[in-house]
Amino acid sequence: MSSRILDRRDFLRVLGIGGAAATLAGCGNTSIESGKELVMSYVQPEDFVVPGVGVYYASTCTQCGSGCGIMGRVREGRILKLEGNPQSLISAGKICGLGQAGVQVHYNPDRLRTPLMREGDTLKPVSWEKAQASLNSRLGPASTLAGNQIAFLTGEISGHQKVMVEALLESFGSDNHVVYDALSTVTGRAASKAVIGESLPVLKIDQARMILSFGNDFLGSGVSPVYMAAQYARFRKAPRGTLVQIEPRMTLTGANADRWYAIKPGTEGVFALGLAHALLAHESYAHSLPAELEAALKPYDKDTVSEVTGVHAEAIPHLAGMLWEKSPSLVLSGPSAEGHVRGFNNAAAIQLLNLILNNRGRSLLGSAVHPFPQLVSATGSYSALVKLNQDMSAGRVQTLLLVGTNPVFTAPTFLPFANNLSKVPFKVAFVTQLDETAHQCDLVLPLLSPLEDFGTHVASYQPSGVEVQIQQPLMEKLYPETRGFGDILLELVKLRRPEVYKAFPDYYSYLKTAVTKAKPVFKATTGDDEFWEDALRSGVLRLDLPAAALESKEGASVVQVDTPRVLDTDVHYPFFFVPSVRADLRDGRHANLPWLQESPDPLTTVVWDSWVDIHPKTANEMQIREGDILEVQSATGSMRAKAYLFPGIQPDTVSMPLGQGHTAYGRYADGMGVNPFKLFDPMFDEKTGELALYATRVIIKKTGENALVVKDEGPTSLQQNRKLVATIGADQAQLAKENAHVTE
Amino acid sequence: MSLSNLIKNWSSLRVRRPYEGQYKGKDYKWAMVIDLDACTGCNACTTACYAENNLPVVGKESFAKGQAMHWIRIERYWGPGDHMTEEFPQRGAQFLPMLCQQCEAAPCEVVCPVGATHHTPDGLNSQVYNRCIGSRYCSANCPYKVRYFNWWQYPERAWPNPLELQLNPDVTVRSKGVMEKCTFCVQRLTEAKNRARTENRLVADGEVTTACAQACPTSAITFGNLANEKSTVAKMWQAHQIKLASDVQEKDDTVRGYRIFEDLRTYPSIVYLEQVRDLEA
Repeated sequence: MSSRILDRRDFLRVLGIGGAAATLAGCGNTSIESGKELVMSYVQPEDFVVPGVGVYYASTCTQCGSGCGIMGRVREGRILKLEGNPQSLISAGKICGLGQAGVQVHYNPDRLRTPLMREGDTLKPVSWEKAQASLNSRLGPASTLAGNQIAFLTGEISGHQKVMVEALLESFGSDNHVVYDALSTVTGRAASKAVIGESLPVLKIDQARMILSFGNDFLGSGVSPVYMAAQYARFRKAPRGTLVQIEPRMTLTGANADRWYAIKPGTEGVFALGLAHALLAHESYAHSLPAELEAALKPYDKDTVSEVTGVHAEAIPHLAGMLWEKSPSLVLSGPSAEGHVRGFNNAAAIQLLNLILNNRGRSLLGSAVHPFPQLVSATGSYSALVKLNQDMSAGRVQTLLLVGTNPVFTAPTFLPFANNLSKVPFKVAFVTQLDETAHQCDLVLPLLSPLEDFGTHVASYQPSGVEVQIQQPLMEKLYPETRGFGDILLELVKLRRPEVYKAFPDYYSYLKTAVTKAKPVFKATTGDDEFWEDALRSGVLRLDLPAAALESKEGASVVQVDTPRVLDTDVHYPFFFVPSVRADLRDGRHANLPWLQESPDPLTTVVWDSWVDIHPKTANEMQIREGDILEVQSATGSMRAKAYLFPGIQPDTVSMPLGQGHTAYGRYADGMGVNPFKLFDPMFDEKTGELALYATRVIIKKTGENALVVKDEGPTSLQQNRKLVATIGADQAQLAKENAHVTE
Repeated sequence: MSLSNLIKNWSSLRVRRPYEGQYKGKDYKWAMVIDLDACTGCNACTTACYAENNLPVVGKESFAKGQAMHWIRIERYWGPGDHMTEEFPQRGAQFLPMLCQQCEAAPCEVVCPVGATHHTPDGLNSQVYNRCIGSRYCSANCPYKVRYFNWWQYPERAWPNPLELQLNPDVTVRSKGVMEKCTFCVQRLTEAKNRARTENRLVADGEVTTACAQACPTSAITFGNLANEKSTVAKMWQAHQIKLASDVQEKDDTVRGYRIFEDLRTYPSIVYLEQVRDLEA
């Protein structure tokens, strides 16, 4: 057929038998006489890649510290969608909205694509060679930096990335790894450690018959929401457990409670002690506390407690009766109880209830000891940032490296972090996208997205046994000028410690060696390569270890019992101010993801904006309507946002969501709402020194302006007697029978 | 539909739908159960739907005009009546995942002037984008308000490069002027059905599910084939005593299942299970 000119009919006949060869001939440019030359496609897919069929790869979600196993759907070399990995104990095949949006970190149109270097007031794009040369001259073998002159500021970090960070610092003799978390949980962890015996004990939510939660948003912005949600689903099956939530502003978890109580912010400890007092009167719990503590609880009668907390008096005997009846129970403290000057004591008083109710060993277990402590997640705190801020101010920090944190955005106004940052001669930010902090750095290095990079992670909350989660690239990198975080650090430590690291050409080989070395611990009998392949395939290395026993030396004795007194009223700032933490935006690091901006806040359904929650009763008294622009003023700062009438809030309290108000975080975040981090007063937990996020007082003023609140909710927030969401009493529903019918 | 087909099936086409036993002996009838006691209102399902079905992010301005394109949305209510009886929502909130109910007698289907929306043999209410002329009658007639109109040419603005690389190649990106809605992830169903057909079998229970059900952290959503009596979804419909072709269900008081706006005789394919609250708490 090569030399003959085909007429149309012949051509069709050839096509019918000849298939691909004939089609190619018809296309023109190539002459493909049989055997004369070999025609190869430019794109050589892997054997198992079939065009049009999605292939799933296991990895680990890095959107928060929960360490959920994920599966990425890859087609024609592109990552399309993330699903939960059924082999992961934590995600069990499920995924939250925040996790889903991981693909938008990767495909974000505002991704940083080249290194940037400071030239005067602006950051200018430079080549990697130039960026690397600058880095090497400062941090290479010729570096004059010594000891803690070099600091690494990170967010929560675990696995071998943490090992690399610390290895780099160590090569300078520095241990200045500063771990900062704007939504620090240090106070609650410290109280739990002191009273219960562990800072993050294993919560057997599915085993509890009643959960009493003081502002713990375990279904939303808590420590491992996807895992907790699955536990919660089991908790709600027969015999159905009861959830009671006490908090100043309703969280997502509160919205799912059987009974929700509004409480004055900061008085949670008083309520818990009142409950302890009521429980001790019951014969089952008499003498479960030391005698002097029991005596000190005497003034905590229900009427006094009610006066202090604003919760009606009968709630206390009622809850005490329920806790006795529904055993084992589980009592949780959360950020809204812990973020006060007496936050530690609040949390300790709450944990005291677990001791009285004997929940240890039943619904509260110890977690297993991790065989690789160097990989365990480093918990962030606010006080770490304060220390760094002092060091920077005193000129003790010569080089600061930053990753996974945005303190210029989240640090409170009274901590002049941005000012002091400018005193550091050399600041390097590792980012996938420019943010407020990176804008102030001298060198900004573009990282691979979490879907392009290798890594290992250890979840901050380990529900059972221990796991090391494996992160692997789900597709080729989008931009040639981006590099892996581990690779950049490895290059640096290789220059400084060639004797230790020269054997590793890249981070991948380092990771592979490190992981396969751990093979004996995981009791694997396979070869090294096979072990590594298996780890990549399943996305997780798992070891079943027995739970450690929960014991504490201090126990009940850490709880300070003062005379309960009513909170002072502040004439200048008459309202309590509590922030709300959205499960998707968190501290604002995810405000650049359009799916999350357009995903309505579950409680208010507001999108793309900030707002002020105010109770309808208070709004009525002040003649505030929805959309009225309010000025919220604290002793520290003031900002404006639209009023949203929200019944799930204590009437003397107003609330604003965190996460919005960015000024330099890409097209989807900039100019959306305001940043309440800049409203916080300098109030600190007296025990841990952590910033008390729920202790600020404000005044609200009407500005006379009004604007439309952009929300998904329609003209009514009530069902208007349409049977949309019907409710049935727990005593009436026959959940066990339903379940039996389906599983038979 | 060819003329011969029309003549052959004339008697069945003249029957008022749905009728009892309509799907008996048929291969597929896709249906869903949503347990409102398990739903926490977390919005994982809605984001999963954006990812799976190429839903455009419309932005604040368009959202304010009610032009959001969320095929599944979570509605939040503070009480059953027309005013709040208590100072606080002391039994929490009521969350309602609302999506196309795939009605068996869909009010949207009968008003379409061009037949762009119609019923498929496996019980889906389908939308044919290239037939749609954008009259929006269907949306006006939908009592659930789950049909979404493309007021803008979203392909030009919703996915700035390289966000478009995330788009699911199995799902059309809709252009300006057409109506769209939840399809029960028909692209997944088609793939599963094709795979089953090549293997000369029917799609097994649990073999295929929708993006929302797959993501849901509390497994509140169950999806499956109602024509298969042994499927989980069919068993749940039975346990909750819901008959597809009835508009008034005879059932026990303790049974939680119900369909929304059943009295409008839309015969939805989604059963909701009542929220449970410990009223003694």
